Amino acid sequence: MSGGAKALRPERGKRHVPKRASRPLLFPSALCVALVVLVFGGGLVWPVDPLAMDFTAVLAPPSLTHPMGTDAAGRDVLARFLAGGRLSLIVGGAVMIGGLVVGALTGLAAARAGRAVDLVVMRLIDGIAAFPPILLAMAVAIGLGGGLWTAALGVAISTLPFYARLMRSEVLRVQSYPFVEAAETMGARSGFILAWHIGPHAASTMLVQCASVFGYAIITLAGLGFVGLGARIPTPEWGLMITEGMQYALTGQWWLTVFPGLGILAAVVAANLFADRLADVLRGRRGA
Amino acid sequence: MLRLVLARVVTSALALIGAAAFAFIALRIAPGDPARLTLGAFATDEAIAALRAEMGLNRALPVQFWIYLRDFLAGDWGRSYSLGQPVSVLLGARFPATLELGLYAFVFAFLSALGLALWSAQRRTVLAEGVPRSMALFALGVPQFWFGLVSLMIGFELLGLFPGPVGRLPPGMAAPEGPTGLYTIDALLAGNLTSFLAALYHLILPAVALGLLPFGFLYRLLRANLADMSDAPFALVARAHGQSRLRVLLGTLLPNAIIPTLTASGLIFGQLLAGSVLVERVFNWPGAGALVTQGVLAQDYSVVQTFILLSAVVFIVTNLIVDIVAALIDPRLKTVEPRR
Repeated sequence: MSGGAKALRPERGKRHVPKRASRPLLFPSALCVALVVLVFGGGLVWPVDPLAMDFTAVLAPPSLTHPMGTDAAGRDVLARFLAGGRLSLIVGGAVMIGGLVVGALTGLAAARAGRAVDLVVMRLIDGIAAFPPILLAMAVAIGLGGGLWTAALGVAISTLPFYARLMRSEVLRVQSYPFVEAAETMGARSGFILAWHIGPHAASTMLVQCASVFGYAIITLAGLGFVGLGARIPTPEWGLMITEGMQYALTGQWWLTVFPGLGILAAVVAANLFADRLADVLRGRRGA
Repeated sequence: MLRLVLARVVTSALALIGAAAFAFIALRIAPGDPARLTLGAFATDEAIAALRAEMGLNRALPVQFWIYLRDFLAGDWGRSYSLGQPVSVLLGARFPATLELGLYAFVFAFLSALGLALWSAQRRTVLAEGVPRSMALFALGVPQFWFGLVSLMIGFELLGLFPGPVGRLPPGMAAPEGPTGLYTIDALLAGNLTSFLAALYHLILPAVALGLLPFGFLYRLLRANLADMSDAPFALVARAHGQSRLRVLLGTLLPNAIIPTLTASGLIFGQLLAGSVLVERVFNWPGAGALVTQGVLAQDYSVVQTFILLSAVVFIVTNLIVDIVAALIDPRLKTVEPRR
C-alpha cells in the first residue's frame, strides 16, 4: 500500500534525503569497542590504585601526574574513572544477561505453555511494569538491604517486562508463519521448532533489546548509586563518584563530577546507538 | 463500550493489587522492625511488643496485607520516624513543588519534541534530521542528575546566568499565597509579577534537567509517527487536492501523529516522578522526590515505599483513563481484545 503511494509521489526536487551509512553498525560498534579498550586497557597503561589515598594532593586539579585530578581523599580520579568503568560494564553486562535469560524464558513460557500460564505470567509482568523502572529497582534494593549487587538485582527485575513482552510477541509472530505450520505437519517436535525456527528469528530482535537494556542498566545503576542505594563508599562507581563530587561541584572542583558523568553518557549513547542501528537494519531486512 | 470499560477496570484493579503486594513484600523484608524504628533504640521490650500488637505486626501475613491495603486506600500511609510526622502530611506538603516542576518539565519536553519533530519532518535535510536525532540520543543517554549539576556549574557558577541550587524562590522571598501551591500560578492569580518571574527563573534549569528524558522519548515517538504517516494515502490525497506541504503536515499528519503519544502518558508520568527523585536533590528543590532521597539516606523507608507505590498507582490509573479516552476518540479500539 505504501509502496504504491510512494511511486505516485512527485519528485522532491532539491530536497535532500540523507543517505544511510552503507555499514550502519560500523560506527556504534567502533564506539563500543573503543570504550571497552579504554576502560579495560586503560588499567594496564595507568596502573594506579583507585583506593590509594594521598593527603598531600587533595582536590588537585587535572595535571600530568593526575590527568583527571584527585578527589577529597587524594585518590586519583583517572584510576577511579577506569575502575568505575570496568564495574559499570561488568555489572551492566550481568544485568543484561540475567534479565535476558529470565525474561526470555518467561516470555517463551507465556507464548507456548497455554492460556492459563500466559494469563498469570503476563499479569505478573504487567505488575512489574507498573512501577517506573528505577523506583522498582529502588524498592528491591531497599528490601534486600542495599549495595551494588542488590541494586543490580533490582535493575535486572525491572528489565523483565522489556524482554518477556518482546519474546512473547516474537514467538507468537513467528509461530503464525507457514513454515512453522509445515514443520508441525511434518511431525517436528516442539523443541526442534523452537530451536530451529523460532530461536533464530527471535534472536536478532532480542539482541536489539539487549543493547538498549545494557545502556539502561548502566544509567539506572548510576542513578541508584547517586541516591545511595547502589555501590557504597569507597567503591569507584560512576554514579557514586558524582554524589561524592557533588559538594565540590560549585566550588570549582569540576573534575570530580564531570568525568564520571561523561563516562556514563558515552557508554549509554554507544549502547543506544548500536540498538537503534541494529533495529533499522532488521526493519529494512523485514521490509516493513 | 461498557464491556471495554469494565474489562479495563478489572485488569487495572488486578494490577493495583499486584503492585501493592509487591510493595508490601518489599516493606516486610526491609531491614528493621517498624515498631522498634518508631520507638527508638532505648524503648523497652514491653513497649515494643505493645506497639507491635497495636500495629498488627504479629498477625498472619495475609491479614497484615489486607490491613495494609485498607490503610493505604484510606490514606493512612504510616509515619516517618525520622521526621516524626505522618507520611501523608509530609508528601502532601511537598507535592505542589514536585507537581509544578513536573508540569514545567513536561511543557518543555512536549513543546521542544513537537517543534523539532515538525522541523525534521518538514525539511528533510541532513541538518534537520541529524540535529534533533542527536539531541534525542543525548537526552536519552545523559544521567539527569549529572546534567543538572553540569548546568549549575556552567549556568550559575561560571556564567552567573541562572540562580544557584536554592529551591523554588530566592532566599528571603516570601512564597506567594494562593490556592494551588504552584508558585507561578499563585503569583499570577495574585497579580504579583515579581514573584511570578522569580519562580519561573528558578524553574528553568531543574525543569530542563527533568524534562530531558521525556523529551527524547516524545521526540522519537512523534518523529516515527510522522514518518509512518507521511507515506499514507490520505496524506497523498491531501497533497493532490493542492494543499501545501506545511498545511498537510499541520492539519492532516500532526493530529494523527499526536493521538498515539497520548497512550504514552502513563510512561511519561512515571519518568517525571522517578526523575524528580534524582533531580530535586541536585537543586535543593523542596519536593516529594527530595523527600525520598532524604528518606533513603536516613534509612527511613516509609516515605520511600509510599512514593514508589503511589507512582505505580498513578501509572495504572493514567493508563486506565487513557485507554478509555482513546476508545472514545477512536472507534476501532472499542473491542475488548486489542488488535495485533
